[in-house]
Amino acid sequence: MTVKTLDARGLKCPMPIVRAKQALDAMAPGDRLEVTATDPGSMADFQGWVKVNPRARLVEQRQESGEAGRVLYIHLIERTDA
Amino acid sequence: MTDTSAEPDPVPTIEVGELLRAADRGEPMVLLDVRNEDEARAWAFEARRAVATVRVPYFDFIEDEAGSISKIPSGRDVAVICAHGGSSEMVARLLAEAGVPARHVTGGMVAYGEYLEPVAVPLDAGEASRFAVWQINRRGKGCLSYVVASGGEAVVVDPSRNIAWFADFAARQGLRVTRVLDTHVHADHVSGGPALAAMSGAPYSVSAGPGLELHHPVLPLDDGQMLWVGGQAGAGIAVGVLFTPGHTPGSISYLVDGRYLLTGDTLFTRSVGRPDLGGKLDDWGRTLFTSITGRLAPLPDEVVVLPAHYAGAHEIDANGVVSARLGHLRRTVPELRCRSADAFVASIRAGVREPPAAYEEITRVNLGVGSPESDAITQWELGRNECAVSGRHAGAGRPER
Repeated sequence: MTVKTLDARGLKCPMPIVRAKQALDAMAPGDRLEVTATDPGSMADFQGWVKVNPRARLVEQRQESGEAGRVLYIHLIERTDA
Repeated sequence: MTDTSAEPDPVPTIEVGELLRAADRGEPMVLLDVRNEDEARAWAFEARRAVATVRVPYFDFIEDEAGSISKIPSGRDVAVICAHGGSSEMVARLLAEAGVPARHVTGGMVAYGEYLEPVAVPLDAGEASRFAVWQINRRGKGCLSYVVASGGEAVVVDPSRNIAWFADFAARQGLRVTRVLDTHVHADHVSGGPALAAMSGAPYSVSAGPGLELHHPVLPLDDGQMLWVGGQAGAGIAVGVLFTPGHTPGSISYLVDGRYLLTGDTLFTRSVGRPDLGGKLDDWGRTLFTSITGRLAPLPDEVVVLPAHYAGAHEIDANGVVSARLGHLRRTVPELRCRSADAFVASIRAGVREPPAAYEEITRVNLGVGSPESDAITQWELGRNECAVSGRHAGAGRPER
């Protein structure tokens, strides 16, 4: 299983989802994509997006503190074979 | 934001002010809200008439464009709105390419939450020859600021942090800002008071209450003091200082020319200010009861209450103003009909809600501690205010972004 990373820091909607979709489309079923975003709205956006994207499964979401006290929103998504 | 530099055709836009005016007039339109479900439910665009709103998240358009477009009623103008304006632009472009004309709302809900609408408070002829009162309505948040003017001078009360707007408004009316006041240390929005005062070379006054320290330069006020606008006694008008603690220990109401009472968060048109944010509901609640029933008791029923907040567009009257006669509030606001402080506190305790978003951070900034980044303040201020004790006043929970 390969885990790719996507840096979506500083991007506002729709770009984190747009970039995640592009990356996921190029991946093989079973591979995972870890997206790091700074937009708090990305939490609910990724939850909503995987509901309508049959090729994506949300494995985990977590928050970490980044540089200068900035909150990072991290989304781990698995490419499914639907 | 979407990088538009490579796009040949810009997507048509509509500004928040134009959208509000069209929606207030009841022009037929569809508002397409493309935020995620949580955000769309927590905080919606609202106008003085019901707005036909369709909610389809932008990521639905990414995954199923045709299916998403089929959810939009045809034959009416479509305005697309999102949190910041990025996703709405993307969706409006998809719609244009599919032959559905649509505009996207510049700046999205953030711009809606910042938009300020000045409305002249109707005065009688004798008053209008001597002074003017404008209610500055922050429509998306339900926050109200005031500009009181006489003899070329302006007092600005409870300005929000868009101080350039207030300075520009005063200049366009030919007014010089000579005093900036806050009714209290706000917990729902960052005050523009200290910065507007510094910019205008005017004194700034606010009270945190006995024993609480403010870290701004503040000109202290005394209970019962008269502040003159447009000249000294006789020439201008008087703004009376009336200490009305309770919502906060330092809350002040300002009585303009004996008839227009700027109550801050002490008294709203449907409710009273919540006294629980200091963690002393019983103590502050009793103080609020004394302020409302005692301190305001000598004021006649004809006094016009102009509050610092309102709950929803249904409180805006035909003149576009949020106000009520004090006598009307004495008869209709349930908390004002309580016979005792005990009953008053009990009624408040029964209905107490979650505190407003980020109220501790906002309060600290308004006490003059720290200087957060503008983006952080934008995030804190999202959503409608929740400063009243009752859901009669305030909207739903807090959105993110």
